[in-house]
Amino acid sequence: MMKQFMQAATGLNHPGITQWKENGGAIVGYSCSYLPAELIHAAGILPIRLRGIETTGMDMGDAYFGPYICSYPKCILQQAAQGGYQMLDGAVITPGCDSMRRLFECWRKAGEDHQGVVPGFFYYFDVPHKTVDHRMKWFVDEIDSIQKAIETHFEVEITVESLHRSIATYNQGRKLMRDLERFRTQLPAPISGTEAFAISIAGTTLPREEFNATLSNFLETLENRSDKNPENPKRLMVIGSISDDLDLIKLIESNEKALVVADNLCFGVRHDAEEIPVTDNPLEALAQSYLGASTCPRMFGQYKERLAILEKKVESYSVDGVILQNIRFCDLHGSENGLFERDLEKQGIPCLKLEREYGPLADTGRLKMRLDAFMERIS
Amino acid sequence: MRPEIKEYNYDWMLGSLLKTASGIGNCSEKEIHYLLKEIPYFRGTLSVLLREGEIGFRFIRMLSLYFENLLNARDSGKKVAAITFCLSPALFHAMNIVPVTLEVMTGLAGLLWKRGAYDYLDYGCELGFTETSCSSQRGALGAYMAGLGEEINMFVCDTPGVCDTNANAFAFASAYLDKPFFQLNYPHTIGDDKTKQYHLDDYRDLITFLEEQTGYPLEEGKLRQILMEVDKQDDLLAELEDFHLLKPNPIPVIYNLFIYIGRFLFSGCPEYTALLADMLTAVESNAKTEKSGLYSGKENIRAYMCYIDHYTLDLNFFNWLDQHGIAHIGGILSRNFRDNAGYTANLEKSTYGIDTSNMTTMLSSIAEMNATLPMVRSIRGPLDGPNMWLEESLSLARTYKADCIIYNGTPGCRNTWGMVKPFAREIEAAGFPVHIMYGDAFDDRVETWESTKTRLDEFLSIRGLL
Repeated sequence: MMKQFMQAATGLNHPGITQWKENGGAIVGYSCSYLPAELIHAAGILPIRLRGIETTGMDMGDAYFGPYICSYPKCILQQAAQGGYQMLDGAVITPGCDSMRRLFECWRKAGEDHQGVVPGFFYYFDVPHKTVDHRMKWFVDEIDSIQKAIETHFEVEITVESLHRSIATYNQGRKLMRDLERFRTQLPAPISGTEAFAISIAGTTLPREEFNATLSNFLETLENRSDKNPENPKRLMVIGSISDDLDLIKLIESNEKALVVADNLCFGVRHDAEEIPVTDNPLEALAQSYLGASTCPRMFGQYKERLAILEKKVESYSVDGVILQNIRFCDLHGSENGLFERDLEKQGIPCLKLEREYGPLADTGRLKMRLDAFMERIS
Repeated sequence: MRPEIKEYNYDWMLGSLLKTASGIGNCSEKEIHYLLKEIPYFRGTLSVLLREGEIGFRFIRMLSLYFENLLNARDSGKKVAAITFCLSPALFHAMNIVPVTLEVMTGLAGLLWKRGAYDYLDYGCELGFTETSCSSQRGALGAYMAGLGEEINMFVCDTPGVCDTNANAFAFASAYLDKPFFQLNYPHTIGDDKTKQYHLDDYRDLITFLEEQTGYPLEEGKLRQILMEVDKQDDLLAELEDFHLLKPNPIPVIYNLFIYIGRFLFSGCPEYTALLADMLTAVESNAKTEKSGLYSGKENIRAYMCYIDHYTLDLNFFNWLDQHGIAHIGGILSRNFRDNAGYTANLEKSTYGIDTSNMTTMLSSIAEMNATLPMVRSIRGPLDGPNMWLEESLSLARTYKADCIIYNGTPGCRNTWGMVKPFAREIEAAGFPVHIMYGDAFDDRVETWESTKTRLDEFLSIRGLL
């Protein structure tokens, strides 16, 4: 089971994807956690998060993006331009941040130079930055528009009933993720941070039914797991910029005293924790949950709410230290990490701020040295 | 931050310098000659302003008044709001709130002090604000976060989704200083009824927020007075803009700076109207005699700045344009897209009008006015979307017969750096040579002016423009 999660977390074209395509299924990639995956799922299409893993160069990314841009969208573009996303029938780009939103233009321009790299369905999905009534209405309209666009392009119908079914399926996964999180709060935790993160990532790329079934079975094994984590590890929480870098968590846990027990990352449980109510107006329910419950720093002016979430997590997961990572040029997380560091340290919670590049851990040595020094500090 | 820097109030230093400079108008030529010897680091900038005669002095006096208002705000019982350049200060003036436009405050330090805003820029980073953030806000914010300026009572921006790094600066400072924060939020579209309704709804929320902060309601009469003044200013601007069409262009290079700094600080205020009126008279006079606004008197080429200008010591960039005989035909900052401006003929769906009939029409007017400000108008959506950056730049470059287009910004401008390469490609394909400046408009340490200048010269030479 863990092998299946690991494969999904570390490879773009993992067996779940290949099998889906062999069965004639369509796949739509999306760039940000604001897109209700249920909508795509309800159309019978596999929704997957766009990722930049397995990138070995940056020539394509650099050719279209300017130099002062986060390496995450550059890596996605690199993969796309190199043909790594040939399995996609569609892609949806959202303005998660300035760098990510411009993936829309850069990818299209790459498509003018390299045939076939832009999927047939290529859509810009607008997401507001606040949740007041008229913004929520705008967001509902955006969801409605993309629903119609999907229906037209893929010649499918997304009914209220199919949406209800998809919401229920995704909710089941959310409940399972919460069950998993409860294991992580235990002392000692029966699961490593690397494993837990792999499961989270797998949830964004495996067919949801398959993910749910596998996770359900896996949780049963956790009840009686014999290979527990080391006694008295230092329990860490990782927060900050977008990350699906399993190697980063592995690197942290390569220190024998370190155990990542919690995260607040958009590939982690940060966004996928709360269940969505099944109501007569599923689009409204999706909008309320995906935008209304967002805890991303792109929702400007909500710092105190986000700090409170971290404080609660520190307590419930018995966290000994917080690693605040940001990808270079990610000002939203980078700056907020500065505030978190100030406010958490004031409360006696040790923090380590790490700036890094997305993609292959080119600066592993530097990161390792800083992580080890942090572990010395809190040990 | 070095302890000695902490001894001085940022607003007071800039304000007192400008107050002193505003008195130079009464000096004799001999006195000015000796004065310039005593101010080696302010001399370059002051000389450019002095060259403009009474209009230069009017500009200095306007800036000086701005600081006077700010430094006296607390004693006058007024609240102070940190705002951004693409948020109109008109509403704030109508509500007796003193707006502090952060980018102007940072820019002035760069123009007036040899060390620019370096210490304040770095101080922001000391506090955890990223070094990759936009320098245009970070400089002044460094001073305010260090407690070296007047107390900011609230932070208001309108850039989420337009420029997240800008919005992030306001959000960071409000959290750091624990002050109220408000954001106007723009969708990626412009010109349609749905978007207009959204603009209005959001703007109403801004007014509610400001009323809560001040404890006073927005007065209809005061708003009308301000909007009528904006209306006058727009008429003057539309006339001025038309003169860019002439060859040689009779508008002095530095007028571009006057136009947008005036709007960023005093939109809706008579001081700005008077400045514009004087500028128009001077330009009309030049036009009558077919005189170029360039001091060399000879216009070699015409450059369209598709983004912002460069604001470091001695107004070097503006001088460089002048010395090379390059007419500055405006940029993203200098235009406001009022529906009576000639250049909007091809961009008519994203303009605004002013109707002061009643409160409803005034709110619609001011909401749309704000929605057509720099960046907010054309960087909100996809590069090649209707009325967006590419269409706007090409339309303006064609209208004013640009010979080349120059992009300049700051490394913090994630939004334009994310699309500037495809943008340049499209612009080149349309026949305009494009130069991308890699420096920082507010921080010469990123790329020295000498390097920037060398690259600009190289561009002109290699592309056969000069």
